[in-house]
Amino acid sequence: MLTRRTLGALAAAALARPVAAQAWPPRDLTGIIMWGAGGATDVVARALTPHVEAALGAKIVLQNRPGGVGAISVQAVHAAPADGLTLLYGAENPQLHKVLGLAQIDYADFFPVNVIARGVGVIVANRDKPWTGLKALVDEISANPGRVRMGATGPGGLPHVIGAMLNAVTPVRVIAVPFDGEGPGLTALQGGHVDFMPVGVAAAAEHIRAGRVKPLAVVNPEPVPSLPGVPPVTADFPGFARYLPWGPFYGVWVKRETPAPVRARLVEAFRAGAANPAFTELMARNGNVMMNIAGEEADAFLKRWQSVTSWLLQEAGAAKRSPEEFGIPRP
Amino acid sequence: MTAGHLLTSWLDPSLFAATALGTLAGIWIGAIPGLSVTMAVSILVSFTFAWPLEPALALMAGVFTGGVYGGSRSAILLNIPGAPAAIATALDGYPMARRGEAGAAIGLTTLASFLGGMIGVAALALGAPAIAEVAILFAPRDYLLLAVLGLLLVGSLSGESLAKGLFAAGLGVTLGVVGLDPMTAEPRFTYGSVALLGGIPYIAAMIGFFGVAEALAQLRLADAETVRQRIGRIVPPRAALRRHLPLALRASGIGVAIGALPGTGGDIAALMAYDHARRSTRTPTHPFGTGAEEGVVAPEAANNAAVGGAYIPMLTLGIPGDAVTAVLIGALYVHGLKPGPMLMIETPHLFWFTVGNLTLANVALLAFGLAGARAFARIAEVPRAVLVPLILVLSVVGTFAIRNSLADVWWMLGFGITGYALRLYGFQPGPIILGMILGPLMDASWRRAVIAAGDDVLGAAVEATESAISLVLIAAIVLIALRSFSWGKGRKALPPTPHP
Repeated sequence: MLTRRTLGALAAAALARPVAAQAWPPRDLTGIIMWGAGGATDVVARALTPHVEAALGAKIVLQNRPGGVGAISVQAVHAAPADGLTLLYGAENPQLHKVLGLAQIDYADFFPVNVIARGVGVIVANRDKPWTGLKALVDEISANPGRVRMGATGPGGLPHVIGAMLNAVTPVRVIAVPFDGEGPGLTALQGGHVDFMPVGVAAAAEHIRAGRVKPLAVVNPEPVPSLPGVPPVTADFPGFARYLPWGPFYGVWVKRETPAPVRARLVEAFRAGAANPAFTELMARNGNVMMNIAGEEADAFLKRWQSVTSWLLQEAGAAKRSPEEFGIPRP
Repeated sequence: MTAGHLLTSWLDPSLFAATALGTLAGIWIGAIPGLSVTMAVSILVSFTFAWPLEPALALMAGVFTGGVYGGSRSAILLNIPGAPAAIATALDGYPMARRGEAGAAIGLTTLASFLGGMIGVAALALGAPAIAEVAILFAPRDYLLLAVLGLLLVGSLSGESLAKGLFAAGLGVTLGVVGLDPMTAEPRFTYGSVALLGGIPYIAAMIGFFGVAEALAQLRLADAETVRQRIGRIVPPRAALRRHLPLALRASGIGVAIGALPGTGGDIAALMAYDHARRSTRTPTHPFGTGAEEGVVAPEAANNAAVGGAYIPMLTLGIPGDAVTAVLIGALYVHGLKPGPMLMIETPHLFWFTVGNLTLANVALLAFGLAGARAFARIAEVPRAVLVPLILVLSVVGTFAIRNSLADVWWMLGFGITGYALRLYGFQPGPIILGMILGPLMDASWRRAVIAAGDDVLGAAVEATESAISLVLIAAIVLIALRSFSWGKGRKALPPTPHP
């Protein structure tokens, strides 16, 4: 019978397996992806894994287990043994689960095998709108408070957080219309059902290039190479600088208690895989900034991200529970 | 001449083989409940990672086309839809098999799927940019109206009693909204359980309510003789083809439209086409629900037409038309392309390659579908003592495969037992699954429409009167509602589905 596992095994048999397999891993690894097939996290995971398999000399069988803004996958990997054979392929979301009241587990309970790359946000508008820059958009919002429609993706999503930053820098009141993801939001933007939307550069780049949506500003301290000519938000609103650089990120984790030699082996394999030129080129093309960091360096990055974002949501009144309760320091 | 790429996959032996094998594999994957086309295609993204782009796309297009069709096999033979898009097919296909006409049902399904698939491809080739531009004009309120239009289906699916149908649909809507609210991330009906945060997958419910409930019903007949299948004739006679052609064409139109909309796919298309068949056919070959040929032709033409439809916004705008095309967009990224509005301008040969490739996949579907029909039809003759355990094993494996969750398996078994009890009292499983599919769409679209109007219900209603699309949908709802309600005479009961 054709089951998922035999399909995976077929895939394993078809890909050439390097001979120099070491004592660890004793069997195939399982990689659990916290977002659905076709999403940004899924694409990153499936593009990176073949390079890692080559470096590791073992197969990683990937499964999507979406749901609960990532909480389902986090829970599943946390429940597995700490032997390094179950990997969590995730995005930034679990770092907000505590303040959003979704779950008590975040990346503090996991060891970062690799924080692969981070994305950059861009504020785009419907192409028929007269706005030429973020300043013009903010002026229109101020003139018509509670009338302009912003595409969003729900609490803790990139549009929500960037919207909160904008509101902290200059008070704006908009209608936030939540969609199922950045893709559906951008579709609605092109159909004229919302007026503007902060999104990841990866999702919007091609629509910008085709002139179907209008970029107003990149949410970064300086312009990004994949979007030449689009000014940084700090040009019109220097107040943004205190939150930046900020963006979604993708990475791979194992349970914190995983033995040190196993961690080291995984770190080494993922570092080699993420350095593969074919992969770094893909990431750059999608407007991501490569990070390829692990261990303490990655932990420091994760802590800072959590502290900046949690307190931003707290100040915007969007946090269900104060970051203080969880000992998340102010940035 | 870029249109010359139409023939690429027909002339290159390896591309030809990849498409044909993909279609055959797709038929098998589609026939096994729980193994979805979306899942198969996302596994193929990693599997074909090191391949050149064309054979990878050819294989995936084959799996997509074959998979959508394959779902009808288990629906007809076992009353377990292999995929949500085959639910409507089970309603009349299974009664046909029980009459000994499994072979004829498979033959009709295959031809309807082929025709629908070709019309989907034709729409893609000839009208893609225009259709895509209209599709993105659908506002949240229009998706709400579309879902309401879908809910009118309850009348067609409820069997002996509309009240029982409404109850079942309500149950489905309730089950469908379990989990994190997609807009506020508020847990709904989860009772503190982490396993429920991700909701209850409607495929698990589908397998339980259809498959397990059916297996339990079969147990009561364990000693009865199985129906001998008349498998002399697989290809339907020419008169039947002529008779069903207009319906198949209309159903294909529904399929293309629903498939091209970014928020809906083949499952809703098939159900709507079934409803359309039921409302528009005055004299079906048998009453609907008891093995009407029209009842298998319409949904199967529609769901395969939706394949071409789903490619329309994907290839022209980089916007997925359904869950499978969303994965295909990811595959294009992995292969170094930039899926988006520029894809068709910068790599037009890819568009024509896909058109040619989907055509080939549909031809392969026709060949494999008809060739295997006799052997498949024999499954309906397998003694119950063998068949029932087989269905149960398939149900458990398929459910676990959805997302590797044991909790889903328990849900599925629970639904199976509940579904059996409901059946004994004349409640149909169709409206439950319909509610689970349409409930979340209605919930999100309604709230989105009202939020977009500034939390103003009246404002949202006024906006609806200013849009041509909304007005057309409202008119369709009113018309159908009026026509299904005969004033003064009371509601004419639809013929009951006989109990097995």
